[in-house]
Amino acid sequence: MSFGIPILDNLYPATMDLWPIQAKEFNKVFPFYENLKQGRFTTTKCKDCGHVMFPPRGVICPECYSENLEYIDLPTKGKVLIFTEEVKGVPLGYESPLIHAVIDLGVEPCRRMITKIVNCPAGVLKRGDEVQLSVFEVPPTPIEKGRAGTIMAERVFFAFEPVKK
Amino acid sequence: MSRNAVILGGGQCKWGVREAHIMDLFQEAGKACLDDIPGLKPKDIDGLIVATSYAGRCSFQVNTAPVVAERLGLKPTSICTRCDTLCAGGSTAIILAKGLVESGNADIVMVAGGEKLYTPQKWEVFYSELASVDHDWEAPHGMGLPPPFFALTAQDHFNNYGSKKEDLAAVSVANYNYAATNPVAQMQKPLTLEEAMNAPSVVPPLTLYDCCPITDGAAACIITTDEIAKKYSDRPLVYLRGCAQVSLNNLSVNFPGAHLADWKHTRLAAEIAYKRAKISASDVKVAQTHDCFTISEVIEVEDLGFCKKGEGGEFCSSKQIEIGGKVPVNTDGGLLAVGHPFGATGIRQGTEIMKQLQGRARHQVKGADIGLTHNLSGANAEHTILVYGLEPVK
Ligand SMILES: [Zn+2]
Repeated sequence: MSFGIPILDNLYPATMDLWPIQAKEFNKVFPFYENLKQGRFTTTKCKDCGHVMFPPRGVICPECYSENLEYIDLPTKGKVLIFTEEVKGVPLGYESPLIHAVIDLGVEPCRRMITKIVNCPAGVLKRGDEVQLSVFEVPPTPIEKGRAGTIMAERVFFAFEPVKK
Repeated sequence: MSRNAVILGGGQCKWGVREAHIMDLFQEAGKACLDDIPGLKPKDIDGLIVATSYAGRCSFQVNTAPVVAERLGLKPTSICTRCDTLCAGGSTAIILAKGLVESGNADIVMVAGGEKLYTPQKWEVFYSELASVDHDWEAPHGMGLPPPFFALTAQDHFNNYGSKKEDLAAVSVANYNYAATNPVAQMQKPLTLEEAMNAPSVVPPLTLYDCCPITDGAAACIITTDEIAKKYSDRPLVYLRGCAQVSLNNLSVNFPGAHLADWKHTRLAAEIAYKRAKISASDVKVAQTHDCFTISEVIEVEDLGFCKKGEGGEFCSSKQIEIGGKVPVNTDGGLLAVGHPFGATGIRQGTEIMKQLQGRARHQVKGADIGLTHNLSGANAEHTILVYGLEPVK
């Protein structure tokens, strides 16, 4: 792929990526993504004050600044509160229909979470529908490893999808 | 003797799709600003705060302030820095300039904001907007471009308060018609309710005229003290009476209200800004609120206290936001029609309020003595309010 900018030929601008850089070399919340690969939707809980936060934190509890955090499982099923469907003019990197919903996972702090809804044609979703976690692969991040060359760090991301009735 | 900050003058370049470099836009805005203050020379200006968010991405220029200073012939000695609060950058820079001049750490500060968003490859700007929200947690869901977020917000308002599409259309009509005679606005055409109601869909229930455009543009204003201002201008002094900037969440899962149309952070910012300015909502005669989407203006007139919570739709559709109404809003056309080059917007708003209070606005609100500007930024993650008045806070 060439844009006529010779120094960029064959280079992948990892910092312009749509998806998070998830590898442990670059991100202390890497356990979230490792758990996601196992189909688990997790976040961090403070073992000192009990606070459960979202998104998960790599270092401190935002309530008490304790570094004593543990990963806990969040529900993987929730209910659609409201949603909107974008059919035309979907932004680069997304497929039509691009469906967004506010969903309720039934526990704090995820009572009103905005997520993308996947595996769902336009015009089908209804308020109150049950949805479940959907984990999918996204392109790996090329990471330079000195003499070892460039490794491809595998990645996943999540959305929610309708539960088949 | 206390030093009271005032806005001495301001101006903007033509906003829209511009055949120009970001530094051309800053020069046009700097000239418009100094043209507004005959007698003020570049060498009189001792400070510069540049509000821009996408200069780093779309113009590949970080540390933007020294570049702008050089292009504008400024040689700052008190402050020369860039400020990024996305949509609130201009207002944030005005707040910072207020603090600097009132504390005696600066005398005459130019606040300049601008963005060049249309790039040779058009996809770049849409893609780059992924950086506007929490990149790792919200952008991957496609929340970078804001219409889906505000479409959900509109649904929550419709469901909880019974507002309707006609109320949103009334905001588009008011703001487009304000801008129709504004020569620097991106959109300069009158709009009818029928046109607004029949516009093409963007993200339901939002249609074309519910959404502000993507805009190239810049604006600049001068913040100084009342005593210094008297040397340069015999216009009425417009004081920066009070301000507040509130951030209670960034990720929408932590949204502070009961639902997306319940803007607790706006109410808190208004409460603090009004208290510092020693006014109440009923004192506000004219406002420039953040109409990035029509639904935003509907909710803002409620949570800024111009009407009861839930009655914003009725307030807008009964023309209370137009000249002759209870609080005329976005009297130069707002973000919807003047456009929204993020860092420049708050400066455009402050300049319009200054003109209203000095009695020289295009759509003049009679007897305006107190005005305010309001911005939201990010995925409705921060609220910024400045209260302007013809008298200092006593
Ligand atoms: Zn804690």
